[in-house]
Amino acid sequence: MDYLIFSFSLMLVYIGLAQLLHIQFGLAGIPNFGVVGFWGIGLYGTGVLYVVFGVALLPAILIASALSAIIGYLLALLVLQRSGQAILAATLALSAIIATLVVSEKDLTGGVQGLGTIKFPFGDMANRNFVFMIFILVVVLALVWVSARLRDSRMGRQLVAIRDNEELAASLGKNTAATKRWVFAITCGGMGILGGMSAPLHQFLVPYQLAPSITFAVWIALVLGGKGHNLGAIVGTFVTFGLFDILIETYAPVPAEQAILLPNFKLFCYGVLLVVIIMFRPIGLLGTDGPKVRQPAAKGAET
Amino acid sequence: MLILDAIFIGLLEASPLILAAMGFTLIYYLNGFMNIAYAESITFGAYFAILFNVVLGANFYMAIVPSMLCSGALSVAVYLLIFRPALNRGVGPTEMIILSVGVSFMLRYGLILVVGPENLFLNEPNITYLQFLGIGATNLQLIALALVLLTAGILYWMIYNTGLGEQMRGLANNRELAMASGINPHRTSVAIWFIAGCAGGLSGIFTGVFAQVAPYMGWNVILITMLVTIVAGVGSVRGAVVAAVVAGILTAFITLVTKPLYAEVVLLTAFIGVLTIRGARTA
Amino acid sequence: MRLEAQNLTKAYHAHEVVNIEKVTFGAKGLEGLIGPNGAGKSTLMGLLTRRIAPTSGTISLDTGAGVKQLNPLKSYEVARVGLIKTNQRIQGFDSLTIRDSLRLAATPPKDEGLTSIFAGHRDTDEIEEKVARLVEAFPFTDRNGYAMSGGEKKLLDILRCLITEPKLLLMDEPTAGLPDDITRSVMNMVREKVLAGDMRVVVVEHDLPLIWEYCDYVHFLSEGSILFEGEPDEVKSNRVVAEKYMGV
Repeated sequence: MDYLIFSFSLMLVYIGLAQLLHIQFGLAGIPNFGVVGFWGIGLYGTGVLYVVFGVALLPAILIASALSAIIGYLLALLVLQRSGQAILAATLALSAIIATLVVSEKDLTGGVQGLGTIKFPFGDMANRNFVFMIFILVVVLALVWVSARLRDSRMGRQLVAIRDNEELAASLGKNTAATKRWVFAITCGGMGILGGMSAPLHQFLVPYQLAPSITFAVWIALVLGGKGHNLGAIVGTFVTFGLFDILIETYAPVPAEQAILLPNFKLFCYGVLLVVIIMFRPIGLLGTDGPKVRQPAAKGAET
Repeated sequence: MLILDAIFIGLLEASPLILAAMGFTLIYYLNGFMNIAYAESITFGAYFAILFNVVLGANFYMAIVPSMLCSGALSVAVYLLIFRPALNRGVGPTEMIILSVGVSFMLRYGLILVVGPENLFLNEPNITYLQFLGIGATNLQLIALALVLLTAGILYWMIYNTGLGEQMRGLANNRELAMASGINPHRTSVAIWFIAGCAGGLSGIFTGVFAQVAPYMGWNVILITMLVTIVAGVGSVRGAVVAAVVAGILTAFITLVTKPLYAEVVLLTAFIGVLTIRGARTA
Repeated sequence: MRLEAQNLTKAYHAHEVVNIEKVTFGAKGLEGLIGPNGAGKSTLMGLLTRRIAPTSGTISLDTGAGVKQLNPLKSYEVARVGLIKTNQRIQGFDSLTIRDSLRLAATPPKDEGLTSIFAGHRDTDEIEEKVARLVEAFPFTDRNGYAMSGGEKKLLDILRCLITEPKLLLMDEPTAGLPDDITRSVMNMVREKVLAGDMRVVVVEHDLPLIWEYCDYVHFLSEGSILFEGEPDEVKSNRVVAEKYMGV
């Protein structure tokens, strides 16, 4: 039962990350390939504040996510007005820097030995893990609600315009650079909050948890569900994480000698799913709600 | 002496990177998207070498060419089966990158499902330790360096001095014009993907022979390859070579004076800095 | 509203595309800018709206409440001063409907902040009214949908600029790609606003009859410099213009 609660809590975190990525990429067109970096700043920031400096959990999460937002803002200042591919590479590089620093700064993070233990809040309450799961659920639902409001708001409309044609939006008096920067910083802060909330889930933090596969799992979930649909993140995460990490891992009768290959099989399937969806239904399972999305083709289309 | 050491170690370390960056750049230049699945060209090059060298028992040097060709063939197959249909369907540049992540996952974890996640080792030929100018190196390292530089040289010559190179540049700059002047885009693209795959494969073989052969080896260098390519400017093969050499020497130098982990942090930070100054502007 | 450029030059490599000692726009109501192909008209428009950085020279705007230097401004800041340009090439927001595209343009930037996420309703009645007036004045195929043809996109581009209520509107070849009757309705609408004193306009055009019909004043640009300025009748009968442009 505890394991199932852990899995569901983690799935909620993934839904939250995919939802934030929906805002960044689906609405604003910013390809953030460093999701795990911002989540990791929240995770390790919370861990270090809690374990090393003795800060209580909730303030620790808030401070760590503020740090994540600030770093997001600084990175946005540097590269957000560059091409999509440059943004993608820079965010990926940032997440690699975070992962490396976690290993090298042993005095704070415990390096490869790890950092622990981070306990659930709410004192000695029984079922603390369940209560915490509900807490995450509330946060994630709030996030889904805000992003639905955003999509239908004046600001969301401006984001879509920027995604479609930034130069044109600027020529109509929109301060496109500042809008993108703030949206990026705030959503990175959100990823930091989710990271901070993951700290007590993992209890014990090791650098391996910052592997780039988290970024790609979130991307796959979003693209699969539908990057332009407000519920795409939820559906996509259910189909990937829910199906493989919860249903199959918990209930499928896999013989022990094959169990070790299961995570690899899962990632193989993610790859196949991603290829199939982009080839045959690039708008994702749910398609697009609200404004439709049209893309310029890459070079080399033989028309 | 520190500088000389750094240059030498840097060149040794950069030599596989130079090849990888050149191959990656070719595809980037021709098709305008960053092909993350190129990581698997590198990985599979090393695994094909395992197949010929360890499983079939061929001499290491004999195994190089067939492994390289197999990696090239794999690259073409992936292009024909996945990337070309996707390009023809009008998939956008960012989606192409995500697609390439999917392909990369498929190949990498498919490989693990078939051969297992363990690290493997190539049977190295006899190694002798040589010394000159006070710098030590093994004969294998020197041969690798020579071979890589030779291949890089051939590749470079091919891009800037042959008909194929000219066709490729034509297609990349103005597809319609190039096709109107009789260039067959299909044949040129297949040739470029084949050459890029071969270069990646060779890069993987030498990365593998100095350490071990592992499913993540290509993935571990793809980030740096990507950054080198972008910093060099879109599709400049010349720039990619220079950037790869500089990155290698810089890494070696920083590693010699500090901890290796900091070298990575400094390098990545420097890359973000260069992107800020040089990356193509959007608005 | 006077837009003034002084010693303005733009060179690509060593090739000088624009070299203007002094020119003033917006002093006369509806002005035309004509000149042969390659005279630098579009480059000049880009320079004035800060989409292209000049090689040298200053651009200043006299809003009546003081003179503002445009050189240090970014393109969005220029737009906020009230200087807006329509696009020669077709541009648009592919995911926004005709109405949304206009609503976006009509919404002041201060109303698009984070608080707008939690606002009760999206657009004010005032904006909806403005949008409806514009949309209904033209025969769009689907008034509640997306701009379909190139012509509709071009028209939408012009309407988007009009709805921002600019003080000085630069129109870069408004007739290109538009049917004659639509062009006339647009120009009539523009003239009405100019006569009402709401804005000043500069039209860049090859369609000379349109220039002669609508403009109060015409600038003639050739090889990057202003060679002649005057009322339409003066320009029509000018020898330099005739030689350089109309091939007489």
